[in-house]
Amino acid sequence: MVNLNSVPPKNGQCYLALGLEGSANKLGVGIIKHPFLSKHENSDLSHYCEMEILSNIRDTYVTPPGEGFLPRDTARHHRNWVVRLVRRALQEANVSDPSQLDTICFTKGPGMGAPLHSVVILARTLSIMWDVPLVGVNHCVGHIEMGREITKAENPVVLYVSGGNTQVIAYSENCYRIFGETLDIAIGNCLDRFARTLKIPNEPSPGFNIEQLAKKSLNKQDLVELPYTVKGMDLSMSGILGYVDSLAKDLFNKNTKNKILFDPKTGEQLVTVEDICYSLQENLFAMLVEITERAMAHVNSNQVLIVGGVGCNVRLQEMMATMCRDRSNGQVHATDERFCIDNGVMIAQAGLLQFRMGNVVKDLSETVVTQKFRTDEVYVAWRE
Amino acid sequence: MPYESIPQFDTRGVCVSLFRDVKNIEELRSKVGTMPFAVIDASCVCCREQLFSAVYKALIEWKYNRLRTKALHSECILSLSPTSNIGEAFRRFGIKEGTRNIICLAVVGKNETQTSELFDVVDGEEVELSDENLGSMFDLEMIKKVCWPLKVFQ
Amino acid sequence: MSKEVIEQVVTYLTPNVPIVPISQGAEAFVFTTNVHPYNASACKTAGDIPVKYIIKYRPPKKYRHPSIDKTLTKHRTLSESRILAKLSQVPGLHVPKLIACDVYNGCIWIEFIGEDLPESHGFSNLKNFLWMYKTDPYNIAVEKVLFKVGEQIGLLHWNDYCHGDLTTSNLVLHQENGDWSPYLIDFGLGSASTLVEDKGVDLYVLERAIISTHSKFADKYNEWILMGFKSVYENEGKKGQQKLKDVIKRFEEVRLRGRKRSMLG
Repeated sequence: MVNLNSVPPKNGQCYLALGLEGSANKLGVGIIKHPFLSKHENSDLSHYCEMEILSNIRDTYVTPPGEGFLPRDTARHHRNWVVRLVRRALQEANVSDPSQLDTICFTKGPGMGAPLHSVVILARTLSIMWDVPLVGVNHCVGHIEMGREITKAENPVVLYVSGGNTQVIAYSENCYRIFGETLDIAIGNCLDRFARTLKIPNEPSPGFNIEQLAKKSLNKQDLVELPYTVKGMDLSMSGILGYVDSLAKDLFNKNTKNKILFDPKTGEQLVTVEDICYSLQENLFAMLVEITERAMAHVNSNQVLIVGGVGCNVRLQEMMATMCRDRSNGQVHATDERFCIDNGVMIAQAGLLQFRMGNVVKDLSETVVTQKFRTDEVYVAWRE
Repeated sequence: MPYESIPQFDTRGVCVSLFRDVKNIEELRSKVGTMPFAVIDASCVCCREQLFSAVYKALIEWKYNRLRTKALHSECILSLSPTSNIGEAFRRFGIKEGTRNIICLAVVGKNETQTSELFDVVDGEEVELSDENLGSMFDLEMIKKVCWPLKVFQ
Repeated sequence: MSKEVIEQVVTYLTPNVPIVPISQGAEAFVFTTNVHPYNASACKTAGDIPVKYIIKYRPPKKYRHPSIDKTLTKHRTLSESRILAKLSQVPGLHVPKLIACDVYNGCIWIEFIGEDLPESHGFSNLKNFLWMYKTDPYNIAVEKVLFKVGEQIGLLHWNDYCHGDLTTSNLVLHQENGDWSPYLIDFGLGSASTLVEDKGVDLYVLERAIISTHSKFADKYNEWILMGFKSVYENEGKKGQQKLKDVIKRFEEVRLRGRKRSMLG
């Protein structure tokens, strides 16, 4: 059994945690509250903290169509906004005296170096100013703990799909073990880069815009055949990206020599941008669902939790649900864009769990952020 | 007439006979393609399993409209071959000059009755299609040649 | 096991082929039957015990687009069949014989390997076999079997094939003249590969499997397996020695990093 109450809250009634997230182009600040309950003393209820979200503020650094976000510019955006966001978050949460906070949680990694840095500097400053202990959080674990708390999925296989990560994760012996992952680029990265080739807006997010285009495909029976690259439990996506990129370029340049896109005799266009988006999604998501199913069979689980930015995609959720329906008692848990996309609340949630197990930063030298930080390196003390 | 069934294809049956010392090979060769059955050179078949695995494969292709040759009977001959070269398959497994023993094979509907005189055109001694008889007729050198890429025969 | 899938299989195979479901993986369902797909005489020749065959069926996956599903099922069924067919020609390597394959339905028929272990110790895969000896873990019989397991994997790798999912349940023991002889089964993730990485991962996956099921005796067990593995390469002269060095080196690297690469955020 796990004792989540090993460190009592400052005010004796509830824990307050501030979470700061800025590992990529989203800057998030969130404040959450956990009631101090005796049932958490001796149980395995880390997914049932009765968390209350006091504020969840996010600002996204959006680049013009055809451009990606560069670390330097993203970091500047975060530096410019982070103080304002923290102010708003405190205001919205009605926390008048920030020294009431039990802990300040920040993203330790993985992510882009410069943005991570700009956020951790504020975290350290606040910690010293208010005399509140810091907790460094693994971004992926943040997603997982957030998803578990929101959906109340107890022990799911986690599909973590975002701009920087594509992993299938299952819990075992105090560790979130990675069962399968991408061998090259992440799925979100693949979609983002394809969106850049298509020069479609990055607002609200490139992946969302691809999803909308895919819905408009009029030719859903005939898929454009793309490479299907599942390798055991892992997958690879750079080849697919290269291929759809070349298709899109041929389409824009009206390269009638391409027999897939144009009728070789009449020169008539057979495939639209929408069709390519649809095929790309179908293909990539089929791969994801397949490795998830494999992991489920492996660990004998019937729950799936989808987290990360790409997890908002309705088609992915749909496919996952279809897969689960064919397994006995299969369940899919997914969250909406408030929690799927990077945010401060998830960092606060995972950080607070860590705090409640007594794991806080003792010296500022422990707060160095790192671009590489694997999910399975975290010791998950708050679960059996 | 010997009649074999393939469990999965319950509407079909396989009529198959083995003939020794066939005298009218030339006549049969001229009629290949017009006869309602496949004629196979028995020197290329070492056992029943080899023969029927080809029939099974041909039936699968036939069921899903994936025949690579014109008819089910020619497909049976192609399926005996380790390659997908149709001409080569016929040259190797079909009857040719010097062929003495042949296997006649017809895939028929379950309730077809005309089967008893189906192979009457063949002028040879009909013997039981057993592994023993096949084993005494087949030509190991020939099989080696056909299957040369396979490691086991090197 | 999903009722719907079983109905599909029964309709496809017709009532002439009675089946008994035995296991369900993520990708395929496995059944046994006593009926040979095309050679009726084969069923009768096995004395008093009825001959069994394995039918491995890959059901269509509804979640993916039908055209992706069709291509994949066909491709995987074909590639598994090809690997089995190729491997059965490697002298000394034990794999079950491929009997038939229907790529359009994702169905393959394979020879049934294995039997029930004495005193209800279950089916004769390596997992149950090792459990059976848990009170006498270092019995010479265990050592012999594990050495042979290593030899089988060595032969597989020496011929540039990889299994992809080596677990203790994917090694089945078959009795031949009173001796247990291990067979490799389930090549669903198998591939022809010349990469040392794939071979290293294969060895690592099996090592993990042994540790997780029989942790107390795992060190000795893995040592025996590795001895068998090495013996195959060492018989191949200088070239074998060099290749063995490469594979073992990579195996140790894979073990150090725990299979996974370090990855950027």
